[in-house]
Amino acid sequence: MEYKAPIEAYKGIVREVTIGKGDKVLKIGGENILPLHFFDEGSMPNPPKFALEVLDMEPTEKIPHLLEPFGEAVSDPIQWAKKCETFGVDAICLTLLSTDPAEKDSPADQAAQLVKRMVSEIKKPLIVYGSGDEKKDAEVLPKVAQICAGENLLIGPVQKENFEVVGKAILENGHVAIAQSPLDINLLKELNVKLCKFLPPERVVIDPLSSALGYGIEYSFSLIERVKQIGIITKDSMTMMPIIANLGGECWKTKQAKENKTQGLLWEGITALSLYLSGANLLILRHPETLKLVKETIGGNGRWPS
Amino acid sequence: MIIIGENIHVIAKDVSQAIRERNEKVIQALAREQTQAGAHYIDLNVGPMKKDTEETMKWLVNCVQEVTDLPLSIDTMNPVAMEAGLKYCKKRPLLNSASGKTDSKQQMLPLAQKYNCDVVISVMTDKGMPPEIESKIESIMDTVAYANELGIPNEDIWVDPIILPVSTAGEGQRIAVGNLEFIKILPDVLPGVKSTVGLSNVSNGVPAHLRPILNRTYLVMLERNGLYSAIADPLDEELMAFMRGEHQEIKNLIYKVMDGEEVDLSSLSQKEVAYVKTARVLMAQTLYSDAWLEI
Repeated sequence: MEYKAPIEAYKGIVREVTIGKGDKVLKIGGENILPLHFFDEGSMPNPPKFALEVLDMEPTEKIPHLLEPFGEAVSDPIQWAKKCETFGVDAICLTLLSTDPAEKDSPADQAAQLVKRMVSEIKKPLIVYGSGDEKKDAEVLPKVAQICAGENLLIGPVQKENFEVVGKAILENGHVAIAQSPLDINLLKELNVKLCKFLPPERVVIDPLSSALGYGIEYSFSLIERVKQIGIITKDSMTMMPIIANLGGECWKTKQAKENKTQGLLWEGITALSLYLSGANLLILRHPETLKLVKETIGGNGRWPS
Repeated sequence: MIIIGENIHVIAKDVSQAIRERNEKVIQALAREQTQAGAHYIDLNVGPMKKDTEETMKWLVNCVQEVTDLPLSIDTMNPVAMEAGLKYCKKRPLLNSASGKTDSKQQMLPLAQKYNCDVVISVMTDKGMPPEIESKIESIMDTVAYANELGIPNEDIWVDPIILPVSTAGEGQRIAVGNLEFIKILPDVLPGVKSTVGLSNVSNGVPAHLRPILNRTYLVMLERNGLYSAIADPLDEELMAFMRGEHQEIKNLIYKVMDGEEVDLSSLSQKEVAYVKTARVLMAQTLYSDAWLEI
């Protein structure tokens, strides 16, 4: 008897989200198949995208093999970002680390000015992460949203403690929100429900928190997998958003990545590849050589090389 | 539906304090209120009760029996406290609970036989909670067979499938659905046994004001599948109204969701919509979040 492989068709579709404007536009999401189920009925119009992360301050911890590719540029965020653009990125991610009260507690205005300058100087769409301090972010991120009104930046993290103020600023100034919740699918859905009461769901990207290899990656992997399944299989509107995996910073915090270059690249690379397999739509890395490694592994069109 | 009133529970601070200080008023008020509200049993959840066990149990049981004629459910994992409690019960009590764990089989089940009482037997085993319906059935069949050998007939056994919070990382919803199925097939597997659940655990971890609707909806579902009794809050008037057979139109809506039928929300009242949404969550038709009524 001839074997016929079963082909599934799904009800749900991940919303296509557009970031940036004019000639610097990035589309993520839009797939109506489970991650890598290219054999099923449906398509993945936008293969996963990659960004490199720059900080708004010179890194206090100097990991030579991480900073080496950028040379002098790490002392100036704009130069650092421009350097990143030479490595074939789809977007730049700027983390406003200096605003963290535990770092320099630098003022919101200063951070917003930097973002504005960066938007005008780089050629790629911009992702902006606050420090993660929910109180400070509630000051910093609305400022960023206002000063860059109309630029359609991807801004976060929007958390349950500050979603109203940050979410409203994102809505009113025409940006996209990164909704972040602590590795829990029920909390993730709750935040999306609350956010989408005033923000169109096409303006939301999910950040489920990305843990590094050896530091809880299993949780991130199964959570992303589950978000995709619930969105695509059961058509749960509140999980049908693209997923951002902000993993570079997490990986380079690990002892293993710091130890030596090969280990560092593999640590970040395997983390990225795993989260890509689980369904991440946009991945943020730190090291340009990891970016190259992961892209080569995946293949040119976002598919596994056949 | 036999309701075992859950409100005398050591986790409640006023209860544990009242027991410590031998304050009859607090305990008796709770017993009286639950009796008046229509409970069929009064549960005495005393926790492990390691200190002054005999003395305390005697005091507590007598204190409650002074104000109510209802039978008691002695709720503890400590066999010494269990025996002390059973000993002073005037009416045929409920031993709450035994399980398939070796300790429990050796120490709790013989007490049910000795005191000729009804006994709750949960599906727990030495390996913990069986993950699937099949393994739950397997476990409970073993433990019930063991109880039968001790001379405890099926009619005295109240099987507890163990309710877990629906709000936990997606798994809770799958288990909620599984337990509905378990209750449905139980009479075929073990003819004559009764059943019970710790109902309120289904809403553990959920914001307090949202807990009652989850408890009520789930009890309506379990009742439909043949549940015999539940350890629950008899002071929840709406819950008791459901169990008296009121609100049939809401029950019918919940049944429709259980049967996978489409329910048109636009023609329903706000209250009916809330029950339909809650039923959908409990049937795992939509992923749980604390905002389930707001979608």
